[in-house]
Amino acid sequence: MAQFLVLMGGFVWLVWRGVAEMDYRWQWYRVPRFFYKEVDGELIAGPLVDGLWVTLEIAAWGLVFTLLIGLVVALLRLSDSIAGKALATVYLEVVRNTPLLVQVSIFYFVLQPLLGFNNPLWAGIVCLSVFEGAFASEVIRAGITSVARGQWEASASVGLTRLQAYRYVILPQAVPLMLPPMAGILINLIKHSAILSFVAVFELTTEARNLVGDTFMSFEVWFVVGPMYLVLTITLSGVVAWLERRVHRGRSA
Amino acid sequence: MIEMRGVNKWFDDFHVLRDIDLRVAQGERVVICGPSGSGKSTLIRCINALEEHDEGEIVVDGITLDDDSRHLSAIRQEVGMVFQQFNLFPHLTVLENCTLGPMKARGLGRSDARALAMELLERVRIPEQADKYPAQLSGGQQQRVAIARSLCMRPRVMLFDEPTSALDPEMIKEVLDVMVDLAGSDMTMVCVTHEMGFARTVADMMYFMDDGQIVERAPPQQFFEAPASERTRTFLGQILSH
Amino acid sequence: MRSRRKRLTPLDFVIFAAVIAVVAYVGYRVESVLVYSWDWSAIPGYLFRHDADTGAIVPNLLVLGLLTTLRIAFWGMLLASAIGIVLGVARTSRRLFPRLVGWAYVGFIRNIPPVPFLFLFYFFISSQILPVIEIEAFVGGLSDGGTQVLELLFGPADLIVNFLSGVISLSMMMAAYIAEIVRAGIQSIARGQYEAGYSVGLSRLQTLRYVVLPQAVQRVIPPLAGQFITLIKDSSLVALISIQELSFMAMEIAISEQRFFEVWIFTGFMYFLVCYSLASVFNRLEKRAAAARR
Repeated sequence: MAQFLVLMGGFVWLVWRGVAEMDYRWQWYRVPRFFYKEVDGELIAGPLVDGLWVTLEIAAWGLVFTLLIGLVVALLRLSDSIAGKALATVYLEVVRNTPLLVQVSIFYFVLQPLLGFNNPLWAGIVCLSVFEGAFASEVIRAGITSVARGQWEASASVGLTRLQAYRYVILPQAVPLMLPPMAGILINLIKHSAILSFVAVFELTTEARNLVGDTFMSFEVWFVVGPMYLVLTITLSGVVAWLERRVHRGRSA
Repeated sequence: MIEMRGVNKWFDDFHVLRDIDLRVAQGERVVICGPSGSGKSTLIRCINALEEHDEGEIVVDGITLDDDSRHLSAIRQEVGMVFQQFNLFPHLTVLENCTLGPMKARGLGRSDARALAMELLERVRIPEQADKYPAQLSGGQQQRVAIARSLCMRPRVMLFDEPTSALDPEMIKEVLDVMVDLAGSDMTMVCVTHEMGFARTVADMMYFMDDGQIVERAPPQQFFEAPASERTRTFLGQILSH
Repeated sequence: MRSRRKRLTPLDFVIFAAVIAVVAYVGYRVESVLVYSWDWSAIPGYLFRHDADTGAIVPNLLVLGLLTTLRIAFWGMLLASAIGIVLGVARTSRRLFPRLVGWAYVGFIRNIPPVPFLFLFYFFISSQILPVIEIEAFVGGLSDGGTQVLELLFGPADLIVNFLSGVISLSMMMAAYIAEIVRAGIQSIARGQYEAGYSVGLSRLQTLRYVVLPQAVQRVIPPLAGQFITLIKDSSLVALISIQELSFMAMEIAISEQRFFEVWIFTGFMYFLVCYSLASVFNRLEKRAAAARR
């Protein structure tokens, strides 16, 4: 542990030295204003708070659509519909084999005008959901198929329909298995939302880039924004770990 | 009650069921035995369409098993099934395992379903375990719950697919006792099992399967004392010699 | 006789109808509302051009970009694997110190979005680390032959600093993911294998070397192959820090020629072609290897 602290200290010192050699002028005192301003005794949110809020908005809506897309695609793949399987396969291969940045560009520069739609934020949310939906469908499908075949058979033998079997037998067992990887997907949504800074969605990274452009305080801004993401994602991981424990406790009680 | 005529089935190139003819009358108790891989499990799984047959006709209680999904669910409500691996629902308590089918498929009210489930759990002699989860029970207890779960659907036929082969020896008897009990109540039963003592006690008719075919069909007395087929004799010799 | 297999369900018709409806709507938008005339004829010109001086056909922007992307992926994978393996082994160490270092690195990188990370890192590397090793002086001092080899491996000599910054930033990031793959591979080997190793008199290091790693490698290679494809895709991110790879070139062309539809769709298609064929090849190799092991 002591060794580790020494190493971390050494690392920080190195960065510090490097920055000092660049004649970099630290201006930490300006940072609070990135968060809030006081105008006439009233607090107004600064750019970083605005950006954080948009990032959270993207993540929340993104999660809703991601789950929806993931569920539909997973069910299509598990169905016996030929067209359904084909459609799901094409979707998965296209999403998996192209970079997110290119997908964002296609959503923003191609699909938006094509579909007569003009809202970068929602184009971004839909694009991210389409991207993460591929991973979510994989998680959902794996969760469903990991429930033993015998459970389907037992459901059928007590007279449940396919839909009832999903509702009462398969999903209650599959969902707890999906929870941890789904948390990973939510965290990815937050991480990948930063790519939307490329198409003028005013989320956290865009605001940070604009601040860097305006003030040239690259180090202060990124050293603040990085930990903001870190706190966000680590908090989420913690919440999910807690949820998972609760689910397990409920089971074995 | 059950009629199979000229049933054939393939798993890809493998011909699992060859020209199966089988008739089970109301209240009749049939035991099917045979070496592993002979197709006996596949045969009884065809009766409630867990496996699809490729050729031939299967009629259960006057309903023909075909592509019509209403026929399928009607048959499944008539036919209870007990699996080798129990297949209890691990996320539900014993009681909930028993009430799920009656409530969702039969539309029974909660209290009626509970009363029914308790009655049948008493019949398989484990009413005191009603609020536990399957993982907290022994194998024998789990299989008895599985039997109760099937009986809760008030089936007219019970299918047993090697109900004791996943059990430790000391638990086999408690399950067989329940099955003998059930046989005494005039239930129509089709059992795939190697428990020859059980077969002798309850079976009205024995079937011997090998290589996807029904090789021998005889009443137990004749089946055990004077089997007609050489293959039956060899098989009986192997499993009874110890 | 019953035949239940391969039959169209009602769902199939719903899906057919939906797909046709979407295609029709997009067609209607393009033809009647946007009145956009597609022009794919310029695309080949972005791939290759005719060099007036030599009369030869030479790669143009998109192909140059693709080559840079592949070079970044190749060197990035090597560097990331080297760092990732060290970190992955460190994370399974019995001593606390290496475990903590690995844990901190992986946790840090996996919880910060790639984009801010790249900005910070690029700024730091290009202004701090590369000047220290005097790469530009080294490149300037090379003979013609040396320059040719260098350009084959690393792309145009005048862009080498730009290129290296991209490679290093990406591999620092990717290393965290590779470390996790390596750790999972090592930890997937059952306890009993170590015990068996000790019981025939091997030391811990020998057990690792002769018993655990050979088995772990088999399990690690498929996810590493997948990671390589991820790296190709993620390399598009360095376009944001002006590394001149495929996505950057696409952006440039799309803006300068005002041909957003064609250029972005075609660029997506290029990535798809590369990634999909690589994935197919890896899949086939994996199947063959699995068959050989049996």
